[in-house]
Amino acid sequence: MSDTLGTGSGPDGKAKATVAPGQGECRPSIEAERQPGWAVSRHLRQTGLPLLSVAVILAFWEGAAQLGLFDASTIPPPSRVLSTVWELQTLGFPRGSSLLTHMGSTLGRVAAGYALAAVLGIPLGMLIGRSLRASRMVLPIVTFARSVATLSLLPLAVLWFGVGEESKVFLITYGCFWVLLTNVIDGAKNVDPALIRAALMLDTSPRAMFYRVILPSALPYIFSGLRLALGLGFMVIVGVELIGTSIGLGALISQARTFYRMDLVFAGMVAIALFGLLIALGLSWLERLLLPWARESK
Amino acid sequence: MQSPRVERVTEAVANAGSARPKIEILQVSKQFPAEDPARGLAVSNVSLTVGQNEFVSLLGRSGCGKTTLLNMIAGLVAPTQGQIAIDGKPVRGPGPDRGMVFQSSALFPWLTAIDNIEFGLVNRGVPKVERRRHAQDLISLVQLSGFESKYPRELSGGMQQRVAIARALALDPEILLMDEPFGALDELTRAEMQDELLAIWQKRTKTVVFVTHSISEAIFLSDRVIVMSPHPGRIREQIVIDVPRPRQRASVQFAQFYETIQRAIE
Repeated sequence: MSDTLGTGSGPDGKAKATVAPGQGECRPSIEAERQPGWAVSRHLRQTGLPLLSVAVILAFWEGAAQLGLFDASTIPPPSRVLSTVWELQTLGFPRGSSLLTHMGSTLGRVAAGYALAAVLGIPLGMLIGRSLRASRMVLPIVTFARSVATLSLLPLAVLWFGVGEESKVFLITYGCFWVLLTNVIDGAKNVDPALIRAALMLDTSPRAMFYRVILPSALPYIFSGLRLALGLGFMVIVGVELIGTSIGLGALISQARTFYRMDLVFAGMVAIALFGLLIALGLSWLERLLLPWARESK
Repeated sequence: MQSPRVERVTEAVANAGSARPKIEILQVSKQFPAEDPARGLAVSNVSLTVGQNEFVSLLGRSGCGKTTLLNMIAGLVAPTQGQIAIDGKPVRGPGPDRGMVFQSSALFPWLTAIDNIEFGLVNRGVPKVERRRHAQDLISLVQLSGFESKYPRELSGGMQQRVAIARALALDPEILLMDEPFGALDELTRAEMQDELLAIWQKRTKTVVFVTHSISEAIFLSDRVIVMSPHPGRIREQIVIDVPRPRQRASVQFAQFYETIQRAIE
């Protein structure tokens, strides 16, 4: 009767029996990690293939530009963008404002607006999500506010907060807040009622119910909200920096355009993309660290 | 070998016959809000007592109100009529004297097996060292040594239910309420779990109310099987299984009980 543990009735035992090598290729199983041969090719597939496609595109782009297939001043080749990045970092554009200065300034604005949105949105979303009446009342407001394109509020933000940093942070906060709020509300609402009942049978106080059941259960939703909001923040910032500043990646791109410096526009774009990539990687690392139980089965 | 004893139970109280009942259910009904009130009547005028340390199964088709009745004993659902008392005290909500195991193990997915078991102990403010020791004892009781730090999704269905049983036992309740706990398991695992549940029940004397729709499971486990009928949920008959344990699943006697109960259900 104690044999259950040993008979391999677990998911592992079943996977071993049913996954044929051919299937494993398109659907990596737990088994793949066990066999050294699979592990190597799997690693290659995961990091090598994306890199390969990027390299191929860059090579074609560079080659086409070298062959004169398109105008290097409108579509600068990768080599040109790279040297521009270097020029931007050493000389600066406008003179004295290096790439890192632009990046730092953009990052600071996004971070401030994003943090503010998180501080407001997470507690508020949890409260609203746990009250049926509140979520019914709030739903139309959230739907409306979310549908307003953040950048269309730019003139209003400038009127209310001036052309300085406040209006920029306000717009980032606005954009991030609604996306985050929607997700947090969903998370607080979608707690499995069976878990609530189980906790009720285990001497759980209302306070413990919130901190030990509802909050952890909502965490994956909160994380996905944080991820979406961050992406949105970086989208909004470029538009927001179009006015009232000469520092920031958005400002860099818009000024480069007026000088017809497409190489600079591309350099700015690459920097923004780099931000997005690094932060997405950082967040998914943090998520794996904090929510090991919610990890997708690989 | 005597033939199975069948008692007709209609309006009378289905009685455990012991001196002091642990659970008393007196003319309890539960009406859920529904367009057609007759359909919303999940439990209709049910009376039942369960004795100290008795193992009672509630058996019936889906819709016969067995889970609702169990939830009312748990204090998760309030009866619309009648009264439920435990040790003579009316039930007003969930309490530490009752532990529950659900069909969908209902383990907290963000906690490891041992942390799930400790959940109630943390609520009760038991110091960490003592908590761990207690949980370790339960881990060996349900034969999960080596799986303490696994998350629920890493465990098989049978293992998840072992954790759920250990979690319910952690607060040392006098009554164990089980809502089709093995319903989602395959036949072989199910038989193993039944053996183990009996072993646990004999080691730590508990009063058990066990909801199932498996006739053989009810015969194998119970002192008494309460057969319920649907629309509205009522007690139809009770069958006392006066066979010493361990019981033989393939015996003639077992088959007789099976037939008797099957007839009671139809």
